[in-house]
Amino acid sequence: MFANFRLSMTWLHTWFGLVLGYVLMACFFFGALSVFDREIDRWAIPDTRFPAQPMPSFDTVLKPIFEKLRAHPDDMEATAERVIGPLPHPDTMPMSSLYAYTTHRDPLLGIGGEFDIPNRPKDPSDDHLHVHGYATIDPRTGAILSDDHLKIGSEFFYPLHYSLHFHWLDLGYWIVGLAAMIMLVALASGVIMHRKLFRELFTFRPNKSTQRSVLDLHNLTGVVALPFHFFFALTGLIIFSSIYLPLSETMLKPLAQRHEILEAERTGLPHEPAGVTAPLASVDAMVLEAKRRWDVRGMPGEVGYLYIDHLGDKNSHVSVFRAGSDQIATVGQGVHFEAATGRVIREDPPPNAVTAVNDYLAGLHLQQFRHWLLRWLYVLGGLAGCACIATGFIFFVEKRKRQHAKVGDGGARIVDALAVTTVTGMVIATSSILIANRLLTTDLPMRGDWEERVFWCAWIVALLHALWRTTPVLRARIAPAWREQCWAIALLAVTAVLLNWITTGDHLVATISQRYWPVAGLDLSLLVTAVIAIAAARSLGRRERAGVGSANGNDDSDMETAHA
Amino acid sequence: MLTSVRPTHILARITAALLGGYGFTWGCAALSVSGMTAFGMSYEQAHTATMLVAFLIFLCAFLWSFVDTNIVRVWSVLAGGGALMTGLAWWLQRLLIG
Repeated sequence: MFANFRLSMTWLHTWFGLVLGYVLMACFFFGALSVFDREIDRWAIPDTRFPAQPMPSFDTVLKPIFEKLRAHPDDMEATAERVIGPLPHPDTMPMSSLYAYTTHRDPLLGIGGEFDIPNRPKDPSDDHLHVHGYATIDPRTGAILSDDHLKIGSEFFYPLHYSLHFHWLDLGYWIVGLAAMIMLVALASGVIMHRKLFRELFTFRPNKSTQRSVLDLHNLTGVVALPFHFFFALTGLIIFSSIYLPLSETMLKPLAQRHEILEAERTGLPHEPAGVTAPLASVDAMVLEAKRRWDVRGMPGEVGYLYIDHLGDKNSHVSVFRAGSDQIATVGQGVHFEAATGRVIREDPPPNAVTAVNDYLAGLHLQQFRHWLLRWLYVLGGLAGCACIATGFIFFVEKRKRQHAKVGDGGARIVDALAVTTVTGMVIATSSILIANRLLTTDLPMRGDWEERVFWCAWIVALLHALWRTTPVLRARIAPAWREQCWAIALLAVTAVLLNWITTGDHLVATISQRYWPVAGLDLSLLVTAVIAIAAARSLGRRERAGVGSANGNDDSDMETAHA
Repeated sequence: MLTSVRPTHILARITAALLGGYGFTWGCAALSVSGMTAFGMSYEQAHTATMLVAFLIFLCAFLWSFVDTNIVRVWSVLAGGGALMTGLAWWLQRLLIG
């Protein structure tokens, strides 16, 4: 089909990169923001601007809350579609398991539980017959946070980067998975085509330096951060491998189920309830014992994850996992107790080589550990990925727009419009949700849904604006959409910072002097974004005025919109 | 050069890379998990180890389906190999479960 190996790689890189690049931009950008998801949550929910809390006492704080916890209406709705007959009232559903999870960055605690239902599934192979309940609580008081408060970082940006919030048939996950595969393909093919392309560059003529600086930046951000990009795309696929290659859930289910039973025998942690009721001993005492054992192993620590299975049954067991603040793996060193007596059933041995490698890779992607410098490098790596993809789009347009203008082809213009939407438009949408968060009244019902709507609407407006203001590309000129959206970013970012000040009183002088970095950090980042956007807008304005075919060598700053 | 590429050829390549590549990866992964389990590794370990390399296999299959000049060979190796390995994995599982 292709004349040679290199051409086939070029074709792959260009066309797959173009089509999935738009998705990849969102994955990299919102992935980069997810590095500080909890900090963004603090900005978005001012009532939660207090220091991180350790796991509270189970016996005195959590137990009464779990007694109040009920199946979540959203999951009731989702489960009702999978089962035959109406679901029982949430008050009558027995809770069969529960969990609590926290990290060194969480002032709030995430809790949840599974509730048994008597219904039969519509699909006989569906063995997940539970309804989930979940809540976020203030561990100092035990108060449950209202669902109307959207945790913009951990509930919106974070899931956006792996599911696009597109849950029908899990399609969002599959699109992101495909995009991650294409990222791997683009990196491999990019390396293969790189050398020859670089030589070709010097033979390009009219707009030589624009194209070259774009391509230089594309290669630089792609190659310098290549291990980073490859790692995140690959580990993202591995983390969601049960969705992308659901062997244990489908074809190899018999083997997987046999393993679960064997594993229960080996570890002594019962797989099934005994059907005999039993009380729950003091969980606080179990936590103390777990901490004592971590001390003995020379690794004192806090509880990151607490899990109780077969609640209220004789076979119930309590698992206490250590928070991985000082290690790559998210949680570990589990100690398991018999729930009725508090007797230690088992202490997890160090993981085997395969599990250790997997925990390390997943942990490095999910980065729940305490290392602020590395955290910022993650953000820079993610933004480098955005810059790489954005310059790829711009190179695509720059390379073709003259030819397209000559023959009246609108392709370059469409690509440019979509590039504007995914680069500057995405930042506009992001700033807009922050502004909506500060402007909507606190007691507005379904407030979070409105914030999300503002986000998507702002992005659609950015798309319409981009389609409208890229017509000059048809005449091989620079689209004013880039410059105008840069100004919009500057305006919105500064507005968000000011609104935070006005509505909460937490201005930068206060937050910096109190060293409250979750809020100061986001405010500062917004201001830096505004400065970069203004610089980019001014630079673009100069080049637009200079007219067609201007070839001012130093135009890297245009691309900094990708950093914004 | 690139403009001479026929749409049907492109379609055959793309579907080979995506669907063929996926089928091949599925077969490889299924056989790897059941194979390692048959050799005495725990299912969980076999599964985890397989997932660490599965997407790299997909990547190689994907790239190869665009590189090889013979599309019939690409399709037969990816689809045929995928089906064969899936069948073997299924048979191995039956042996193991008994």
